Amino acid sequence: MEIFEYDFMQRAFIAGIIVAVIASVGGSFVVLKRYSLIAETLAHSALVGVAIGLVAGVSPIAVAVGLALISAWSIEYLRSYFNIYSDSILAIFLSGSLALAILIVSLAGAFNTSLFSYLFGSILSVSNEELWVMGSTGAVALLLLLGFYKEFYFIAFDEEVAQVSGLKVVFFNFLLITIVAVIIALSIRVVGTLLIGALMVIPTVSALQYQKGFAATIWLALCFSLVAVISGMFLSYYLALPSGAIIVMCILVIFIISLLLNRTS
Amino acid sequence: MTFHVPVFETKEISLNIGGHRVLHRISMQIFQGDYVAIIGPNGGGKTTLIRILLGLQQATSGEVLLFGMKQKAFTAWHKIGYVPQRATQIDTNFPATVLEVVMMGRIPKRTFFGMERSVDRDIVHDIMLKMDVLDLKDKLIGTLSGGQRQRVMIARALASEPEVLILDEPNTGVDVVSQKRFYDLLRQLNKEEQMTIVFVTHDVGVIADDIGRLFSVNETLFTCNNPKEAISCEEMSRLYGMDAHLIRNHHHH
Repeated sequence: MEIFEYDFMQRAFIAGIIVAVIASVGGSFVVLKRYSLIAETLAHSALVGVAIGLVAGVSPIAVAVGLALISAWSIEYLRSYFNIYSDSILAIFLSGSLALAILIVSLAGAFNTSLFSYLFGSILSVSNEELWVMGSTGAVALLLLLGFYKEFYFIAFDEEVAQVSGLKVVFFNFLLITIVAVIIALSIRVVGTLLIGALMVIPTVSALQYQKGFAATIWLALCFSLVAVISGMFLSYYLALPSGAIIVMCILVIFIISLLLNRTS
Repeated sequence: MTFHVPVFETKEISLNIGGHRVLHRISMQIFQGDYVAIIGPNGGGKTTLIRILLGLQQATSGEVLLFGMKQKAFTAWHKIGYVPQRATQIDTNFPATVLEVVMMGRIPKRTFFGMERSVDRDIVHDIMLKMDVLDLKDKLIGTLSGGQRQRVMIARALASEPEVLILDEPNTGVDVVSQKRFYDLLRQLNKEEQMTIVFVTHDVGVIADDIGRLFSVNETLFTCNNPKEAISCEEMSRLYGMDAHLIRNHHHH
């Protein structure tokens, strides 16, 4: 196929598949912990990193990973040790991060197309170097998710019983949110900060409609995510549409079909 | 040697929340093989006491010993099977099959990347058979009836092969036939497998014949070492406002 003759398209597909896998698997645990908005929030924190990176002239993705991590740990710390509702914490970090990112960028006069590509994704401009970072870091994230799959699952099902069973719940919650922060920062290139939340949450929510067990639900979410990303990239290429937006539209279509197929009368 | 070390021991446990006294100087011992019922009025602190025992909540003062060890140093949590109060009211949309839920009980015994071993599958199979939930194994937990779900939750607690089973009012929303079956099972676990059972309930009448000791919690603790003696329990009911005739009625059976 002509589409694969270009180096940049090959890189785009590899990047898309990496993100489809890690975002959907990581997203499953996030959704089940009733923490769907974390992705959106951390993506905005990552945007602060992108802004700093652009202004300082260092790798925006690297700084984004750092900022997402700081934000994730602060959120988890506040959630564990203070009396603030989880969703309020997320709202505070979401808007706070966005405000900070806008300030940094405008103070440096760097409101330009480059920032735009981080907001909405720019999968066609993924470099070889970025692909290596995504591949290696993504592999570590996936390995940790699969390695502690049963612990994350047990904690999502019943945090207190998991604790009484001897699981280090606080540690695993920090670990999960750390992995999620990394996944989000890595995904920015593909779907952008404004859209990554969709890729983490919607595949799992669609899979949940089929009322299967946990293992089956994760597999379904993974398939949906892959289908959406791959078909989104084809559509993006042939119709000349922005990749991030079309990928999200594809996953939305899958969600709506799943809803209709499984509606209870 | 370990036989005489209490499974649970509290020394002068007190809990104050915002100047309000929830628990006051509670000292108790529960020994291996005991069948203990913890009763008391709603808001009297019985669930709180259990949560403190399990380390889910911290007491203002006092000390908790688990199997003779200070709670902070205790690591053998797999010896304790816990069925929480909301066990029958879990999120019905959670994607978990019965088998997946019972298998959770084996998680503390597996390691990083630890796949299910054949020993895990064997134990889970036997427990599901015993709890009569084997034929439900591929069903989603949310589609079960209250009684079925209760048995699944207990199966999960038993899957870690505990020495103690703690059940916090697990009967909410469970029909009478299932309850009867459930009490039979607890008796069997206690009598035949010498499992220590701690049962939090407001419905002591049904199990009065089974239980060895009765703890009544209403801010302070009252221990009734022979619950079949109507006098002590009537006295207790006078002290704590419990419904005594439940206990006495049962005595005539």
